[in-house]
Amino acid sequence: MTVTETPRFVRADGPDKVTGSGRYTADLSLTGMLTAKFKYAGVAHGRITKLDTSAAKAIPGVFAVLTQADVPNVRFGPFVQDRTLFADGVVRFEAEIVAAVAAIDAATAQRAVDAIVVEYELLPVVNDAEAALAPDAPLVHPDWSSYGAARPMVRNRNDASFASIAKGDVEAGMAQADHVVRSRYVADGCHAAPIEPRAIVAQWEGDKVTIWSSTQVPFDARAGVCETLELPANRVRIIVPHLGGGFGGKCGFHQEAHVAALARAARRPVRLVFSRREEFLAPDKRREGITYEFETGVRNDGTITARRVKMVLDNGAYTSDAGFFSQIGAMHGLGPYRIPNLLAEAHLVYTNHQPSGSVRAPTAPQSCWALESHTDEVARAIGIDPVEFRRRNAVDTGAEGPSGQLYGEIGVQQCIAEAARLAGYGQTLPADEAIGLAIGWWPSFSVPSGAYVKIDGDGSGQIITGAQECGTGSVMTLRQLAADEVGLRAEDFQLVYQDTSVAPYDMGATGSQTLFNNGRAVVAAAAQVAEQLRQLAANRLEADPADIVLADGRAHVAGTPDRSVTIAKLAAIAAGGELLIGHGSGAPPEAPALVGSTCVGNVGMAAWVAPQFSCHAVRVKLDRDTGVVRVLHVAAAHDSGTIINPLAAEGQVQGAVIMGIGQALTEGTTYDDAGHQRNAALLEYKLQTCADVPPMAVHFVQINTPNAGPRGAKGLAEAPNVATAAAISNALAQLVGQPVRQLPMTAERVWNAMNATGAQGGAA
Amino acid sequence: MSFTIARTLDEALAALAAGARPIAGGTDLVVGARHGKAPLPADLVAIDRIPGLAEVTVTAAGITIGAAVSHHTLEGHPLIASTYSALADGSALVGSPATRHVGTLGGNIMNASPAMDTGAGLTVLGAEVELRAQAGSRRVTLADLWTAPGRTSARPDELCVAVHVPTPAPRSGSAYLRLEYRRAMEIAVVGAAAAVTLAPDGSVAAVRVALSAVAPTILSLGGLETLAGGSVNDVAAAVAAAASQQATPISDVRATDHYRRHTVGVMARRAVAAAARRAAGETIAIPVNRSIGIGAAS
Repeated sequence: MTVTETPRFVRADGPDKVTGSGRYTADLSLTGMLTAKFKYAGVAHGRITKLDTSAAKAIPGVFAVLTQADVPNVRFGPFVQDRTLFADGVVRFEAEIVAAVAAIDAATAQRAVDAIVVEYELLPVVNDAEAALAPDAPLVHPDWSSYGAARPMVRNRNDASFASIAKGDVEAGMAQADHVVRSRYVADGCHAAPIEPRAIVAQWEGDKVTIWSSTQVPFDARAGVCETLELPANRVRIIVPHLGGGFGGKCGFHQEAHVAALARAARRPVRLVFSRREEFLAPDKRREGITYEFETGVRNDGTITARRVKMVLDNGAYTSDAGFFSQIGAMHGLGPYRIPNLLAEAHLVYTNHQPSGSVRAPTAPQSCWALESHTDEVARAIGIDPVEFRRRNAVDTGAEGPSGQLYGEIGVQQCIAEAARLAGYGQTLPADEAIGLAIGWWPSFSVPSGAYVKIDGDGSGQIITGAQECGTGSVMTLRQLAADEVGLRAEDFQLVYQDTSVAPYDMGATGSQTLFNNGRAVVAAAAQVAEQLRQLAANRLEADPADIVLADGRAHVAGTPDRSVTIAKLAAIAAGGELLIGHGSGAPPEAPALVGSTCVGNVGMAAWVAPQFSCHAVRVKLDRDTGVVRVLHVAAAHDSGTIINPLAAEGQVQGAVIMGIGQALTEGTTYDDAGHQRNAALLEYKLQTCADVPPMAVHFVQINTPNAGPRGAKGLAEAPNVATAAAISNALAQLVGQPVRQLPMTAERVWNAMNATGAQGGAA
Repeated sequence: MSFTIARTLDEALAALAAGARPIAGGTDLVVGARHGKAPLPADLVAIDRIPGLAEVTVTAAGITIGAAVSHHTLEGHPLIASTYSALADGSALVGSPATRHVGTLGGNIMNASPAMDTGAGLTVLGAEVELRAQAGSRRVTLADLWTAPGRTSARPDELCVAVHVPTPAPRSGSAYLRLEYRRAMEIAVVGAAAAVTLAPDGSVAAVRVALSAVAPTILSLGGLETLAGGSVNDVAAAVAAAASQQATPISDVRATDHYRRHTVGVMARRAVAAAARRAAGETIAIPVNRSIGIGAAS
């Protein structure tokens, strides 16, 4: 195998996307295709007292109107089976689907939706996750105890998933401290906000259905369709055309079964395309709001003696894929620090809000924001520079993490040093500017995955993979791995991907896992082909297969480059005999052991394979008259293991930093008292624009990571989204005089915080 | 349902008389319809290809800006940038580059949003709008034009064809600023325009100020005549106080009334300061939002 130096190749799907020739799900058009629309609850909590679809069904051009009565009575959910396809007697958030319509065109479908009669007995709206933990709080799911659930889940009434991590003796640790710093922080929910609203097309042929869906996880989508419509996996085919962004919002099983059920009832292909408003309200995917209560004991010499954190996460109305958020949230509430005595308790609590789900590094950016803001408060309490405080207390190679994991080679200390250097930490700044710094972490997820690699008779290759490209470039990078294995160029390979009936299983574009796991599978598959090529070359060149080198499109005998044959020639020979086909999966790295900690509600998120570390340092400027904050520069240093595709990796960091700035300053979902989102539109939910993006310096700390992905790679897509908001907060706190304790730190909240301390500035 | 492309003004006016509504860039009309604000009118007449409607003309009294002149043209027009700067400041803040290339001044005015970015600047510059129907044309002041959010005093058969802006007095300058949470695709949280005329001794001879997004229509500040003769700093401080006092903002998802009342004073103070600098001959790049304060490059 020859590893290509820093490949900066054009991604395979780039020209399609840039020129507009690429096709997305909403571009598909099938003969006789109908338009789907949903009837949503419109109220956040209510018992259905009347549901009458007869008038809708009578409208000419309406082919199908479905409710829960028309689909199998299946309660589903990956962690808690608390969900049905359509409302089952009770609606629990404003965009719960009550009925679905398929009609000849969008206007007819809308008329049919409007003609569906639904009446409700309104139930009390559970708007506040902390209040929902009270023993007398109204229950979102009165039948919670009868639901099926994953075995380790610890549940109690509105508490859908409790997790704790305990180590040492936290009371004794607090008693050893010179200072105990207590803080409360509140993070609002926010959204993935992909630019492509989701779209689904379903078409039946006999008893088999093909579903084109803008999903990040085609195999998960298939499993959901199979479970809810009671079909075997081999009769459901999910194909993903180009995906227009996901950011986690298109993880999980969503409306594929609704559209498939409509298509079956209507006996026609059916297409669903969400409006922007629907994209905000309806998916089971909102970044969870969380409240934090921290308590950290510290000695005057800068040693942390104990930490306690209590977190309450807003689960929303259904548990979706958020069941693990309490445990991974607890890890982020404790942070990558060496603390002998600790206790984290996290509750994932039902409310009548949109369900929470995996948005890019779920629980991490907001928890890092809260913890790292608190950490700066701790450092200031004992008069130690926040960077120095982190150098002393952060984990390091050979150290033990909060859950008792012993780390091999890790690069967190290098990240701190590099980010501080790139930001010019310590330089003299104008009075309205400051630099803040924060450290973050995120796991790599070790899961099964598979791929095929083949080389046809003309010497051109194909990778047939179950992996899903959501824009990160991870699938694109697979070509490089296969090419290096067999001595071809990345451009010599075409990708066949995003089709569940063609390729083996992959978990999808989720958990930053694509390169980590599918990369392993592709390397294993390509290695089989390479072995075939070496055998063929050995026969032809009269050499030992072990002495054959595959490079630059040729096979040659080691040490004798003249004795060679082209891979195209070997492929032609193989085409007349045993074909060049490889398949691979490879064993996923095993989870590390935990020592000396107790984990309640353990769903496997307290021990992290190949953990990633980061440090962001951000320079901000504050307008003291208005509270408006401007980010002037971001330095991002990452230990994500070996970087295989630097161009794509830098792009991941840049994009995640921009998302992080939005989460820090402008992106937050607010609810009214009735449980309705107040800003479900792109004008009022303020993403950052290109005009807002500051200069950035990105650095990768590349060290030898044990137990990692191909060539020592870790994940990358989520990690850079973790520490930006925290670093902004720590810069801002210096200018405001105290932390802004609610996320997003909007201009008005900043201004309020300034006024609270009397730190308001003079005239501009 | 019909869509007529008018080739002459007479064709457009005939279509309006028959009940059609005008469309130029469509940046309010189409987006509003998609968001469910108001359905698209059944009959539309496109006015973006009428000769002469997209021209800026210098007259003896000042300038005449055709209703179909785009924001992009306004933000880059040398005379408007130098002499009618508040209008250029506002035009340069509208939406995105794409919005500014298709969106028109006439559309912005007749949409009558209190958060519009050109309205406060036109108000302090003393602009009048020319409305034309088949029966003839009339000029109205902006204060008479805007009656409520989204409402004007124009009759359905009247088309806004031009905006007339008088030549400012010597030693005058103007500026428009808005509070914004991001630098593109934004709507004013609050905004303020000021037109300042300096006396030869550098004191303020006259000042006019108008506010956006703090009242049902663009709010022209009253009682500023008494400030004449004051220093720029004193006038700016008095204007800030008057702006906060006269504003009647609402609370919504963008900001509370309390915060708007405070920040509109900040915007008004900065607008007066920037206008006075321009009146003194200094060039501040368009838009002011990107040249001073938090919006500046560093």
